[in-house]
Amino acid sequence: MKVIPFPSGGAERPDEAWLSELEAALDGTAEGPRADSWRELRADVRALAPPMNPAFERELGERIAERRARAAPKQPHRPKQPYRRLGWLHRPSRPALAGVSVVCTVIAVVLIVAPWRPAGHVVESYSKSPSIAAHADNAGQSSGTVASAPAAAANKGSALAQGDLVPASGAPAAMSARVQQLGASISLATTPGEVQAVADRVSQLATSDGGYTQSSHVNTGEDAGEASLTLNLPSAKLSAALTSLGRLAPVRAESQTLQDITNTYDADRQRLSDATAERQALLRALAKASTEGEIDSLRERLAQAGGAIAQANTALRAVSQRASTSEVEVTVIGDKSVGSEGLTLNRGLHDAGRVLVVTLAVLLIAAAILVPLALVIFALAGGRRAWRRHQRERVLDAR
Amino acid sequence: MSAQLPSADDTGPRAVGAPAHDKLDDQAFDELFRESAADVHAYAISLLGNRAAAEDVTALAFERLYRARARLDHGRGTPKAWLFAIARNAALDELRRRRRQPQSELPDEMAGDHDHDEAFEQIARRATVRDALAALPLREREVVLLKFHGQLSNSELAKALDVSESNAGTRLHRALTRLREQCDGLGREEQIA
Repeated sequence: MKVIPFPSGGAERPDEAWLSELEAALDGTAEGPRADSWRELRADVRALAPPMNPAFERELGERIAERRARAAPKQPHRPKQPYRRLGWLHRPSRPALAGVSVVCTVIAVVLIVAPWRPAGHVVESYSKSPSIAAHADNAGQSSGTVASAPAAAANKGSALAQGDLVPASGAPAAMSARVQQLGASISLATTPGEVQAVADRVSQLATSDGGYTQSSHVNTGEDAGEASLTLNLPSAKLSAALTSLGRLAPVRAESQTLQDITNTYDADRQRLSDATAERQALLRALAKASTEGEIDSLRERLAQAGGAIAQANTALRAVSQRASTSEVEVTVIGDKSVGSEGLTLNRGLHDAGRVLVVTLAVLLIAAAILVPLALVIFALAGGRRAWRRHQRERVLDAR
Repeated sequence: MSAQLPSADDTGPRAVGAPAHDKLDDQAFDELFRESAADVHAYAISLLGNRAAAEDVTALAFERLYRARARLDHGRGTPKAWLFAIARNAALDELRRRRRQPQSELPDEMAGDHDHDEAFEQIARRATVRDALAALPLREREVVLLKFHGQLSNSELAKALDVSESNAGTRLHRALTRLREQCDGLGREEQIA
């Protein structure tokens, strides 16, 4: 048997020359016995494999053709796209769908969170005033923060107070209406430079509504300013006055208080009634008096009764005054950041900026969740791939 | 044939960002099929030693290549390198799945499938090569089979093996050197005999 003269590979690690020689020999560009031996070896190795079964080859070709035919008919069934610009509507890509989903999610989150809504700005967000009735029915003192402009309650309170100024001669215990004292406080925000002007307008508003400015303190500066005003307004106009105040500048906070003074009012009225009754009784007794001493004594008591009536009248008027007028504390805050809150365009830009900031924050949070998740998924996919490759290579080593 | 649909990671080297004009169109696929189907089958049957399994692997390789043709990146390997990479993965999966020892020697049909006119010397040489090849470790035999049946260049071989060109060259050199030594040894034994 002839020993086949294989070309020598030389060292264990091939050099470029060895590989080049092999390549040249196998692609037929090299000549000579060494190249011939490489080609002969390749031919021998290739000759060892039996040829492919013609039936299998034909079947495989048919399968490929069939698969291609299955894929091909999809195209004619696709809807025609007469308008190229609207093509994306017909076949949205997966990234586009994913992008739209992410944007929708972000918008939904932003709308739910709605961070641009200032907590004290939207007056309607306060709890409405079921407490009014409760307060009105309570005996004695009661106070609480109520919703904006309980006009009906204010009107009722003032009407009751004004209607009962004249002491009733009938039984006071039969009176069931309540007498209430209303109060309110409102905080307005404006630029530091506008504090004085807003304070002036607040005072004008109080005057035009039939009230007056009880006290006023204005402190202005370049960077900040504040004005505190105490207004005394007719209770019947409290609601309208608060609405008007809210139009002067953005409202930061608003609250109203209600105090039931029915007991005080009733007590004063009772005292007046008693004093009046006593005076009438004394006058009747005086008419019947005959002795000098008796007449002097009755006149002294009449004087005392007159004083008591005057005192009771004063107290009753004071209580009525409390019920018919309302004290409103107005605070005007000068804040640079408020600046353009009253201007629609600037306010819109400001809100848009905040929306963008919040959107970015949401995206950042989403990225903080999704990026590690994606890394984990990529790592798992890479690990799986590496594991499968390892398993395959292990098959080669195990044989 | 029990060709099952391949998973995405079975399609050999990754094709990312392949431009549209570089995709393997139907005509090129047909051409590749005509040129390489027999080579893929020969590689598979030589590695697996089983005709049915080789046919499975061949069908699977072309099916997976067809599915992945849109993702082919010609800049990262020729379609033939991809085809043999897929075939190699499928063959190794087949070996792993069957969990049985492949035939340590090539099937009898290989040795007997020759023309009667062939020279005795050629027949004897091929028998020696067959025995030497069968004596090689599977890892080295696989490299020789890929190189000669696939007629792959060194870079294509590297792509098919999913290793660097340097590594592929080293493996090929080692495998061919051992094949040569095996053939030398077998030739001497026959001479002595």
